Amino acid sequence: MKKLYSNKLIIFSLVLPGILVFLFAVLAPICLSVYYGFTDYTGMGEAHLIGWDNYVKLFHDSAFGRSLKNSLLLAVGFICIQHPIAIVVAAVLDKLQGKAEGVFRCIYFIPNVISVAVIAYLWKFVYNPDFGLLNNVLAAFGYQGKINWLSQQNAIWSVLIVLIWHGFGWGMLIYYTGIKNIDPVLYEAASIDGAGWWKTFFSITLPLMKPVIQINVTMAIISALKQMETVYLLTNGGPNNSTQFAANYLYQQAFKAFKYGYGNAIGVVFIIICILATVALNTIFREKQEA
Amino acid sequence: MKKKIMASLLTVAMTASMLVGCGGSNNGKEAAGGAAAPSGDTQEASQAGDKNEPTDTGSEAASGDAVTIKLFSNLPDRKNGQGLVEQMIIDEYMAANTNVTIEVEALDEEAYKTKFKAYAMDGMPDVVSIWGQPSFLDEVLDAGVLAELNEDDYIDYGFIAGSLDGFKKDGKLYGLPRNTDIMLFYYNQKMFEDNGWKVPTTYDELLTLGENIKAAGITPIAMDGGDGWPMACFLTDIMVKVAGTSYADIISNAVATGDFTAPEIQEATQILVNFADAGMFQVGYDSQDYGTTMNLFTNGQAAMYCMGSWDCSMALNEDIAPEIRDNIRAFTMPVVDGGKGGANDIAAWNGGGYAVSANSAVQAEAIKFLNYMYQPDKLSKYGWENGVGMSAQDQTPYLTGNETDLQKQVMDIMKNASSISGTPINDCGPSAFKTAIESEIQGVSNGSTSVDDFLAAIGAACE
Repeated sequence: MKKLYSNKLIIFSLVLPGILVFLFAVLAPICLSVYYGFTDYTGMGEAHLIGWDNYVKLFHDSAFGRSLKNSLLLAVGFICIQHPIAIVVAAVLDKLQGKAEGVFRCIYFIPNVISVAVIAYLWKFVYNPDFGLLNNVLAAFGYQGKINWLSQQNAIWSVLIVLIWHGFGWGMLIYYTGIKNIDPVLYEAASIDGAGWWKTFFSITLPLMKPVIQINVTMAIISALKQMETVYLLTNGGPNNSTQFAANYLYQQAFKAFKYGYGNAIGVVFIIICILATVALNTIFREKQEA
Repeated sequence: MKKKIMASLLTVAMTASMLVGCGGSNNGKEAAGGAAAPSGDTQEASQAGDKNEPTDTGSEAASGDAVTIKLFSNLPDRKNGQGLVEQMIIDEYMAANTNVTIEVEALDEEAYKTKFKAYAMDGMPDVVSIWGQPSFLDEVLDAGVLAELNEDDYIDYGFIAGSLDGFKKDGKLYGLPRNTDIMLFYYNQKMFEDNGWKVPTTYDELLTLGENIKAAGITPIAMDGGDGWPMACFLTDIMVKVAGTSYADIISNAVATGDFTAPEIQEATQILVNFADAGMFQVGYDSQDYGTTMNLFTNGQAAMYCMGSWDCSMALNEDIAPEIRDNIRAFTMPVVDGGKGGANDIAAWNGGGYAVSANSAVQAEAIKFLNYMYQPDKLSKYGWENGVGMSAQDQTPYLTGNETDLQKQVMDIMKNASSISGTPINDCGPSAFKTAIESEIQGVSNGSTSVDDFLAAIGAACE
């Protein structure tokens, strides 16, 4: 077997598909994006090079600024709301044992199994001011007015709730797996020493979960930056770009406004931001590990 | 030896898996090409870039040879309204020409426009839906993806004067209009009578009416503000009453210069803002979509519904309760105090239509089918019989006397019109302008953007 893996032909044939996919599905499109980012291409006809115009315009584009701000808000929401709850729920699930553990694990994961389209329409109906669940519940408690959950001021928060709720299952499952991998002997030793649930959680579970938390936080930030489908279906960035996210804005500019060149410029800036975020996170976590 | 065999096996397996990966798209194409659409079923027929016509469908196809025409339509509902009419004609054509198969791919408007562009880059279906408006057609014609039609062929087709203009460039014709669209206020006549409400003749009466409807606990007007374009059509409607027949000049001038500060545009926008501020639309109108909005009206939760005349087919839609369906009537925007537009200056235009792809391998057959659709007794007649508003052709020969009251009303509105506006404001500029105004109009109507900022923002999008 060892000899098999030192056969260059084998190595080559095993690596080739991966390299090809990377070259043609990742690298080539990025290079094309960089090129089109410098053009006034409309998606049809001819492209003309226009230098840095698209990028200059982009840095003055308030809708793009708004979409980055929203991505940041979402990332903060993921890290400060979704993940702490996910860790605690994972730890509680782990302690439940038996049938209940499986049942609750399933229940918490259900939103992730449902298609994004269904989720978006479900919440669209929940938020509807006229017949939506939320306003009906409020009416049952005697509230007379109709709250517009997707108004210019409220929409971003309503969207964040959906996104945090929808992504919760994944985060929880990864934390749960992490907790399951912690040696039970440590918990036994702690309980012999008289440590309570919170003490055990903060002194054993959390410190040993560090690598899992790192992965989850990185993934959360990347997914906050990449957010598109739910927003597209729920509000399509409206009203007036108040729930705009970079990927959705890119789509609108490239495919609705026929500004393909500008869309590509957004794409390039977007890739740079994603890479910077990943590098920054890796640096932060590495420093912590070394410390 | 054993290792060598294993090495060879692994290599073969790897190559095979790659070939399978490559072959997948071919299989997909064959499957898509082979699945004909004999009935009215909406079908995702072809893939972007699929130019693999079966070899026997070349442009020189003699009659009797099998021909497949791909139709890309923006009418996904094939059981009601315009989509039904389109499908009826397709079925008839295929029955009359047994060698012709027409494959339909239908997506709703936004998805349609997105995929249209993908097709434009990589090979269009043979017959496509288009819009004869600068926001859509300018870029498409610049790219040269549509086939030129011979205008003389259509002299006897009864097209309404001026209706072909939007589909021309440099005097050449590239498409044909399907409808004449009129912006309307649909209302529930029974609800009006029961409550003693009257159809308003002035803008102030409309406001008072709205207040009375609100006082009765009903939403005055259902407005699809989530999509942006219906509200832009509404703004057009107001502007026609404010600026009268000079609407088109004012807007084309503003689009050309990027300066939207003309007093008529300011006044009309301010009226829209005040109107929304007075609570004339449903709560959350700026985030609700077409279907939700229409349901508000067809469920009786809203007394009026602001939309184009294509929704006249509501009066024949059996999914709507009869007590509402039979009582739907319409009126146009009432006159604005001090405005130059009279009651019969209306917001109307010839928007949607069809064209043939310039690169179609079956272009001659596709044009033949296009001409068949536009024979006066096809789109116009069936459209009329199915209550789909007004066509862009003379419909008077097809009046049956059994028209719904709503149809008669809309016909009268058109007949009595002293001027029609032409293209609505959002479609007057490039598509970047369209995208901008349809988003910004949400902000200005809900009060989060000032009128001045709104006008500056849409002006900037014209550059």
